[in-house]
Amino acid sequence: MTDSALRIRGLAKSFDKPVIRDLDLDIAAGQLYALLGPNGAGKTTTLRMVAGLAVPDAGSIEIFGIDTTRDPLGAKAITAWLPDEAMLYDKLTPLEYLAFVAGLWRMDPAHAAAEADRLLQWLDLWDQRDTRCEGFSRGMKQKVALAGALIHDPRLLILDEPLTGLDATMARLVKDALRAQVDAGKTVIITTHILEVAERMADRIGIIAGGRLLAEGTLQDLRDRAGTEGMTLEDTFIRLTSTPAVAA
Amino acid sequence: MSLARPGSFAWLALHELRLALRARPTRGKTRWIGYLLVGAWLVIGCLAGWALRNREIPVPPDALIGVLAVSTLALSFMTAQAMIGSQRTLYESGDLALLLSAPISGRSVLLAKLLGIAATIALTYAVLLLPIVLPVAILGHPRLFGLVALLLALALVAASLGLALTLVIAALVGPRAARTVGQVAAAVLGGALFLFTQVLPHGDGLSSTFTTVFERLRATGIGTSGLSGLPGHAGFGDPLAIAVLLGLGLAAFAGAGVTLERAFLSGYLDGGARFSRARPTGRASSRLFHPGLTRTVFAKEWRLLARDPALAFQIVLRLIYLAPLVLGLLGGRHAVPVPAALAFASVLIASQLVGSFAWLTVSAEDAPDLLQVAPVARATIDRAKLLAAFAMAAPFALILPIAIASQTLPGAAITLAMTVLGGAAAGYVELRLGKPGKRGAFNRRRSGSLVAGIVSLLIALVFGGGAAALVFLVGGGMAGAE
Repeated sequence: MTDSALRIRGLAKSFDKPVIRDLDLDIAAGQLYALLGPNGAGKTTTLRMVAGLAVPDAGSIEIFGIDTTRDPLGAKAITAWLPDEAMLYDKLTPLEYLAFVAGLWRMDPAHAAAEADRLLQWLDLWDQRDTRCEGFSRGMKQKVALAGALIHDPRLLILDEPLTGLDATMARLVKDALRAQVDAGKTVIITTHILEVAERMADRIGIIAGGRLLAEGTLQDLRDRAGTEGMTLEDTFIRLTSTPAVAA
Repeated sequence: MSLARPGSFAWLALHELRLALRARPTRGKTRWIGYLLVGAWLVIGCLAGWALRNREIPVPPDALIGVLAVSTLALSFMTAQAMIGSQRTLYESGDLALLLSAPISGRSVLLAKLLGIAATIALTYAVLLLPIVLPVAILGHPRLFGLVALLLALALVAASLGLALTLVIAALVGPRAARTVGQVAAAVLGGALFLFTQVLPHGDGLSSTFTTVFERLRATGIGTSGLSGLPGHAGFGDPLAIAVLLGLGLAAFAGAGVTLERAFLSGYLDGGARFSRARPTGRASSRLFHPGLTRTVFAKEWRLLARDPALAFQIVLRLIYLAPLVLGLLGGRHAVPVPAALAFASVLIASQLVGSFAWLTVSAEDAPDLLQVAPVARATIDRAKLLAAFAMAAPFALILPIAIASQTLPGAAITLAMTVLGGAAAGYVELRLGKPGKRGAFNRRRSGSLVAGIVSLLIALVFGGGAAALVFLVGGGMAGAE
């Protein structure tokens, strides 16, 4: 067993041009880790490779010690991926969607049904459990997708911009859900452009730009490096991303 | 865009025309195949124009009837196309919110949208018509420009009619069902004339169906004079007929603008509302959770299809379109014995159904990323989806083998085996060659995958022909002849 939830070494990916270049990243288990960066920095591409949605050109990814190239199904079994656009079926109800996800993760039906009931009640979706998702707001859809991500009890939960477009109540609910996961010993990785969220929630923060990790550590570590003592994460982020020499 | 004052109707109309022009494949093989076909078509047109440049083109009554028949058929297809275009405009395109929030009158928006729909329709048919007609007309037969005028008039009438029908449906059935009913109505309308010709009594196979229709028109004098003769006369350059038909088209267009403005706006506003069926069942959640991936996938695919009646109807309609082929085999001087013809039909139906369901389950997956991040091998999911496609097609595919069993049991067994093989092959083709798309684009699924379409057709013909031949050899021919 390892206490490293995610270990990335020499990761590289190019599309028309290099997007990720020789990226190394370690995330310890039981943390909420925020991966920040300007638009096009390579955050989503990195996390898509971790989730198995894209194949790296070079490098290795290990999730709790499982190499995602050698044992992709083993790595996926303990991981959940939640993109900014929920992966839902409009014509299915939340309960039917959870039944489908549980089937994909080959859960025991009785256990999955009980877990689905618990999640739907916890996420305030119980009254809508038999309503098709097609009429749901973005926030409701995001909650259904979150229930889908949590139903198989993943050890690593990866969320790409989970709070975009949510109202304050929904955002609070999602934040509470993520914190509860971390409190239960799970590892959560999020990307977000809402720096206040990262500042308040994240145990550690990584800043990525141009496909490289510019800086990584606790908020205080980043402030020390950027020389922004007492300033906000926003100030620190801008200093680090606009002056790469500082980050180095 | 500088041809007209910004914000004016002309400016908006030019914007819609530009969008209509861009609504075609702009990349990939499909574009080049399209260019190649149009180029070849144009070469044929130029050669025809050169060959006919010093010759008189006669206009016999049969030619006028032919133009009427083709115009009527085209109008039904065009109206169906206009209904689908109207539904997209009202419920899907999303730019109405921008246009209606701008300081432009609702009527201008409606007319510009209608013009865009008409232009899309006209362009679809112009690709077929103009490469042939224009060279011939330019090289000495200017009266054939009348066919261009006829096309424009038909497009204008069809666009107005299509929008009106869409709004009537929305008013009758309400916004929730308007999309589904509209799609079904468009599909029925698109195939109505075609299906009508199939139920006419005829005795000599497929080709005589059209002859029968033509003979009836000729016998009644329809298409050569009076109102019914207008399309023919306009097509061959009669200025009065052209003026009347273009006038009718413009009148329909303007009439739609005057009468449909309010219904158009309320149709858009109602369509913007998203409805969900909230039906708390009160039953235990556990009923939905099954062991086994195949059962889980089947349950999901079945629900998605059952909750999309318009899509299900499109699939059924494809089966109905196969009827002429089977009727052609059964009728006429070279009729195939009943069991052999049914064996052929069985394979054809199975390959169509399994191919359609396989495309929906495999290529039209709504959440491909979800499946990719799941701890299940791609091949396992594909196999489960193919089995689901098979299971959904099975009840329909079993009907004809059971019917054949009443005449020849070995024939039924052969038919069943070939039906399963044909269906499996069709499903496999979709798995390997089908191009990803949205479920709503079911009818256009072949536009990105010509090879898959050709291979599927070949499979149906080879397995169907094989089934018919084998059933004939084991005695199905005798049974049918008795």
